[in-house]
Amino acid sequence: MNAAAQVFANVLMSAAIYSLVAVGFAIPFRVTKFFDLGYAAVFALGAYSLYVANMWLHAPLWLSCTIAVLFSVLFGCVLEMSVYGPLRRRGASPLVLLLASLGLYFFMQNSISLGFGDAARSLRLGLWNDGYSILGARVTFIQIVAVCVSPAIIGAVVLLLRATHVGRTMRAVANDPELARACGVNSGKVILIAFAIGSALAGVAGALVGLDLDMTPTMGMSALMMGVVVLIVGGTESIPGAILGAFLVSLAQHLGAWQIGSQWKDAIAFVILLAFLMFRPQGFFGRMVKKAAV
Amino acid sequence: MEYLLHILILIGIYVILSASLNLIAGYAGLVSIAHAAFYGIGAYVVALMALNWHTPLWVNLACAIILSCLLGALVGIPSLRIRDDYFVIVTFAFQVITFSVLNNWVTFTGGPMGLPGIPRPEVLGLTVSSHLGFLLLIGLFCGLTFLLCHRIVRSPFGRVLKAVREDEVFAQAAGKNVAACKMLIFVIGAGMAAVAGSMYAYYITFVDPTSFTVMESIFILSIVIIGGAGSLRGPIVGAVVLVTLPELLRFVGLPSSVAANVRQMLYGGLLVVFMMWRPQGLLGEYAFEKGSTKG
Repeated sequence: MNAAAQVFANVLMSAAIYSLVAVGFAIPFRVTKFFDLGYAAVFALGAYSLYVANMWLHAPLWLSCTIAVLFSVLFGCVLEMSVYGPLRRRGASPLVLLLASLGLYFFMQNSISLGFGDAARSLRLGLWNDGYSILGARVTFIQIVAVCVSPAIIGAVVLLLRATHVGRTMRAVANDPELARACGVNSGKVILIAFAIGSALAGVAGALVGLDLDMTPTMGMSALMMGVVVLIVGGTESIPGAILGAFLVSLAQHLGAWQIGSQWKDAIAFVILLAFLMFRPQGFFGRMVKKAAV
Repeated sequence: MEYLLHILILIGIYVILSASLNLIAGYAGLVSIAHAAFYGIGAYVVALMALNWHTPLWVNLACAIILSCLLGALVGIPSLRIRDDYFVIVTFAFQVITFSVLNNWVTFTGGPMGLPGIPRPEVLGLTVSSHLGFLLLIGLFCGLTFLLCHRIVRSPFGRVLKAVREDEVFAQAAGKNVAACKMLIFVIGAGMAAVAGSMYAYYITFVDPTSFTVMESIFILSIVIIGGAGSLRGPIVGAVVLVTLPELLRFVGLPSSVAANVRQMLYGGLLVVFMMWRPQGLLGEYAFEKGSTKG
């Protein structure tokens, strides 16, 4: 086995997942401007609904994946309609929304623990988890799927944001909610659509991680934190930035895992985050975060 | 009786933790989820020094406070540059890194196995080993914490903190050194959390990384929010409510495997409910929005 090729394959795989999570998180983040930690619950719910559909209801894999994504979308929209929407209409600050989403995440994570236990669950896919050897690197079928699906979905999202009416209104609300409303844009609906798209991406990413590795109740938070690191490193406003950030962070993590041990992967990512926040808080492609408006 | 004293000791530890986080989050408006990290640093410094060098309580305590303050200053540096919700993410990062070090640096911290057998402390020549003794010791530190918080909040420095919380630009325009104030209160809070950590290590005589996770940070933050941010009595009320509430679950007869999750669901649910209907908490005056303070 060729170590360098293996590191490269691992980097590709985690960059695919990180960028998917980061882009999915960024879509509602751009229109609502708050860190929605409930996104982590949506991610985990995607993975666990895949588990329920496949292992308990014995649905075929394609149907289970569809159910997982639909369930994530539904859950994301319920969170927006029942908690974030009412809070925003009351004029709550981003900090209040963040704290509410933290409570939601905490609640959901423990609900999953209660239902499924803290131990890792995995789908028994048999042949699917058999590896192929490509240039000396060992990769599984799921990993190949993930590396293909992630750019395709991100491409579709970029197209949606750039070329459709929904995308344009979304960018309008992101830029200036007041002005968008004055021009007759229903901002509540646009935000709901943003949550639906973001949650769908979370569902896909959750399902892919669930298929590739084990699932645990806290998987959502670890994925989300990587997504946030990637997003801040790349600049929160920019999708190419998120992809570049995803590659940079995964490269650093896997080189670190190779050289000093895989248990330090989280710490490596967060040291990168701290370095960026100290020296370049706007990320690669971002604009300066405004501290206060006078 | 032992059980009742144990609950009171826990309340005492959480009063110190939440009162110090209240200075940071409630008075200065800097929401931090790194408080369990400073708590853990305090506990580990004491555990390592007591186990390896058998140094007395006051020396260990002083070292724990100093190290925690230094690390607090290190984390405080980015807080001078970024917006409040990014600050939450920075503190989250520090929390994860700290846990990672405690959990993975096995030769130094014992890793997941923790550090057992921390010797009992000696105060004025007496060995503290009974529950009552610990309650008195922790009660003493609670009192000191409360006095310190009271002094800070009523001082001109405390008023500047509130001004920073309500309107940072205005405070700056009035000639206040906003950055230095934020830094100072964060460092003070980190030091106080280390005191709570030291007490915890001596009382339980065992430390392991799972006591100092993000969940613990969120729990401390929930105490501050539910008790009431920006109020001196808020954290005390919050600590009493949130520590005793799950003990009531014990009497309902839930099996312990379920009870742990139900307890945390309760905290999460309470956090959402309070954010939606009473963001200033039971007694608080700060509702986590600029210029929101009433009266």
